[in-house]
Amino acid sequence: MKGNRKDTGSLKPGSLRYVWRKLLRNKSAVFGLTVVCVLIVLSLISPLICRYDYRSMDGLNAYSLPSAEHLLGCDELGRDILSRVLYGARYTFIIGILSTAIAAVLGIAMGAVAGYFGGAVDSALMRFLDIFQSFPMLILAMAFCAVFGTGIDKCILALGISNISGFARLMRANILRIRNMEYVEAATSIGCPTRKIITGHVIPNAISPIIVEIAMGISRNGLASSSLSFLGLGVQQPTPEWGAMLSSARSYIRYYPHMAIIPGIFILITVLSFNLIGDAVRDILDPTLKE
Amino acid sequence: MVRYVLKRLLILIPTLIAVTIIVFTLMNFVPGDPVMIALGSGTHTPAEVEAKRIAMGLDRPFLVRLGEYLKGVFFHFDFGTSLIDGTSIQYQLMTRFPNTLKIAIYSIIFTVVIGIPLGVFCAQHANSVGDRFALIVTLVLDSMPSFWLALLLMLLFALKLHWLPSTGSGSFKYFILPTLANSLGGLAGFTRQVRASMLEVTRSDFVTTARSKGINERKVVYGHALPNALIPILTLVGMRFGGMLGGATVIEVIFSIPGIGQLLVNGINNRDSTVVTGGIVFIALTFSLIMLLTDLAYSLVDPRIKAQYTSHKKKSGEEEKRHHGGRHHGRRDE
Amino acid sequence: MNEKKESAFFSIRDLNVQYKSGAQTVYAVNGVSFDLAAGETLGLVGETGAGKTTIAKSILRILPPHAVKKMEGQVLYEGEDIFQMNDTELRKIRGHQISMIFQDPMTALNPVKRVNEQIAEGYIQHHHCTKAEAEKRAEEMLELVGISADRAGEYPHQFSGGMKQRVVIAMALACSPRLLIADEPTTALDVTIQAQVLDLIKRLRDELGTSMILITHDLGVVAGICDQVAVIYAGRIIEYGTKADVFRHPTHPYTIGLFGALPDLKKDVERLSPIEGLPPDPTEQIEGCAFYPRCERRCEKCKSYRYEPTRLSDTHTILCCNPAGEGEEK
Repeated sequence: MKGNRKDTGSLKPGSLRYVWRKLLRNKSAVFGLTVVCVLIVLSLISPLICRYDYRSMDGLNAYSLPSAEHLLGCDELGRDILSRVLYGARYTFIIGILSTAIAAVLGIAMGAVAGYFGGAVDSALMRFLDIFQSFPMLILAMAFCAVFGTGIDKCILALGISNISGFARLMRANILRIRNMEYVEAATSIGCPTRKIITGHVIPNAISPIIVEIAMGISRNGLASSSLSFLGLGVQQPTPEWGAMLSSARSYIRYYPHMAIIPGIFILITVLSFNLIGDAVRDILDPTLKE
Repeated sequence: MVRYVLKRLLILIPTLIAVTIIVFTLMNFVPGDPVMIALGSGTHTPAEVEAKRIAMGLDRPFLVRLGEYLKGVFFHFDFGTSLIDGTSIQYQLMTRFPNTLKIAIYSIIFTVVIGIPLGVFCAQHANSVGDRFALIVTLVLDSMPSFWLALLLMLLFALKLHWLPSTGSGSFKYFILPTLANSLGGLAGFTRQVRASMLEVTRSDFVTTARSKGINERKVVYGHALPNALIPILTLVGMRFGGMLGGATVIEVIFSIPGIGQLLVNGINNRDSTVVTGGIVFIALTFSLIMLLTDLAYSLVDPRIKAQYTSHKKKSGEEEKRHHGGRHHGRRDE
Repeated sequence: MNEKKESAFFSIRDLNVQYKSGAQTVYAVNGVSFDLAAGETLGLVGETGAGKTTIAKSILRILPPHAVKKMEGQVLYEGEDIFQMNDTELRKIRGHQISMIFQDPMTALNPVKRVNEQIAEGYIQHHHCTKAEAEKRAEEMLELVGISADRAGEYPHQFSGGMKQRVVIAMALACSPRLLIADEPTTALDVTIQAQVLDLIKRLRDELGTSMILITHDLGVVAGICDQVAVIYAGRIIEYGTKADVFRHPTHPYTIGLFGALPDLKKDVERLSPIEGLPPDPTEQIEGCAFYPRCERRCEKCKSYRYEPTRLSDTHTILCCNPAGEGEEK
């Protein structure tokens, strides 16, 4: 990979374009990106390509195993699992991406404010985040779910809020780290205007760790959303969210395990893809971890 | 050192009070009137409802109730009673906690006993076939939803092979599957962390120094590299253990183990807001205490940190990093 | 320098070391040979990246294995080739016969072990003695390097940089090695401490009669301590001789350049004359002389130069096809 130094050499390591170009040369990242894109496209066009509607029930085919008729079999109400799984992909993505977006926007803002102003503002914000950090993430999300109730929007909100502190701390640490970097001092000392320092030095260097955190956040929140749905706290039946599908399939696992295995495989593949992307970005940004 | 502990406790207490206030306030907004939930289904006359409201003390102002709750929790460890069946929440927590504790202890032992040697092996044979294989397996395990893994394990070992009981709690064998399901995903991340940490430390100059002294390779790896590599791992262990004490919620639900997590889920599903409040506050207490103990354990292991604390100089940046690292299921590798 | 007596105490024959860096190969050391007589001190001088540390580390075979692509040649200690030894034989050499002082005392000590443990460790290994005996030895060693024995139980972070380097020296000398390799032992230290540590090394070398290979980029240090001097450029010894040879009659244009870059209090020079340009990219294999682009005396011959050594005297050798003549010497 390092042999390609020449063509990426003109780009600043850590800049978005640099990361993107390197990413396209990383096999596992390309695999992850491809899987994610294919799943999103399939999910969007699934009503057009699937033979069965994800809602239509067919009592005669209830519990049927995978066959030519129903490629991945049917569930307890005779609904086609393939249609449901493909359609349901959108929930995992929507929840994963939107909740991470909420967490990232709010967290980055809070972290930047804390890191930039320092002093009392910083301590106050950090003590506030300590409260969030007194719980394991899933418990926090469960608490918010209890207050907000169930549903996709509430699930997104609950997961979004639960993840703010991670982003805030990361951003704050970033800002503090960069502010003390010698090249920032150097830029300041030669009279570089603050605006230029921020756009030219601080943002490009702060953004990279954030990208890793976002990729990991999407996978984490996708997983957490299916856990919440599985517990009956997130998205509810009959929505074909993967966790919710698994939750209802659980009762039939002894005799019809395919109902539980299939949504699980899809969760696994999706989370794995985001993890691969996240790992690749991290390796690109921190080459010392390699070898 | 003592001063440091005191200082940490002084920060911890207001945080916990704030946690309790926030949770109590939030739960006040849980949909559904607690009086109606307490009364259960059926029709009730307005007079009955009012009488119950007064009996539950809900007619009093919010702040008074909050104050009493705080007093109850912090002075008497009293979390009130369940809306649904009126049992003491403290009693519920105390009877359930041993089960949660068992899963947590078994899981952490399993993780450490398998994860450290495996991580060291992978680091020593970095990029070999074995290492790559372990990397792929751990990556897949890491991406697996634990509830799915739990169902698969249950399907295979309990329902098909009949080797182990599928649900319930009791003797050790009831805990084997929950422990596996609870730790395999985390074990993967843990192993990768040990590997990364070992790789980093083996590149340090002091490892070369040790080697240049002519001591044998086993002593270089286990006597010099490993102790240093384990320092950052400690946070991860503490984090995970603290998280598990909060209840391996999903696992407890699947295997029908009466633990803290199951209590919480039942509470949420039954809209039993007092149980939910109690459960969450209790989890925050245990989690924060474990995190504090982890930080203290740190200073015992690493003489440099001990020195920092005793000289009252604290490197906030480093602490910050540790706080952030290993949060969220330990998928961080910073 | 190649046809010296067979029974030299320590010699290196045609050492070649290459690293891999991604898809590229770094040619770190390209055919280095020298001999060292018992009790003598050799100074290896050169710029950063010239390959000095690589030479030092390959003697004890402590280069990071994952980075090394090729390591060839012979390292002969009392006639035995260290490169041919198995692990057990090698460990008997390391720390016991040959030991090393590292460049950066801040990172050379294990932060979670007490210093006496770290000093005693090697002693236990080589002398098969009890822990108590070894720790007693550790305390003696600390006293020897000027650290009070009651600090023996402290951790490295409790010492200052100069003190840490003293600990490293104590560690290296604990088993009374016959050869000491000091890799820029003072570079990481404050200027005020440098002289003290250097004096310490010199004194202990004389007291213990140890041979030494001193690696440095500081000609002043060489002048104070060494008997022989080897000037390294791009992984080759381009000038080798006794201290008098090299200091009085520097002949390779690079060596001359090095002296030109030093301030001389006796001469009234307007400004120093640094060597122009940068060392060559070690990932490229260069046709002809590696110093060619920077050399003031470059000519057509240099482009096809094959590094045939030019012997100026019994003790003085250079790798240059167009050296300064007698008359032009500065």
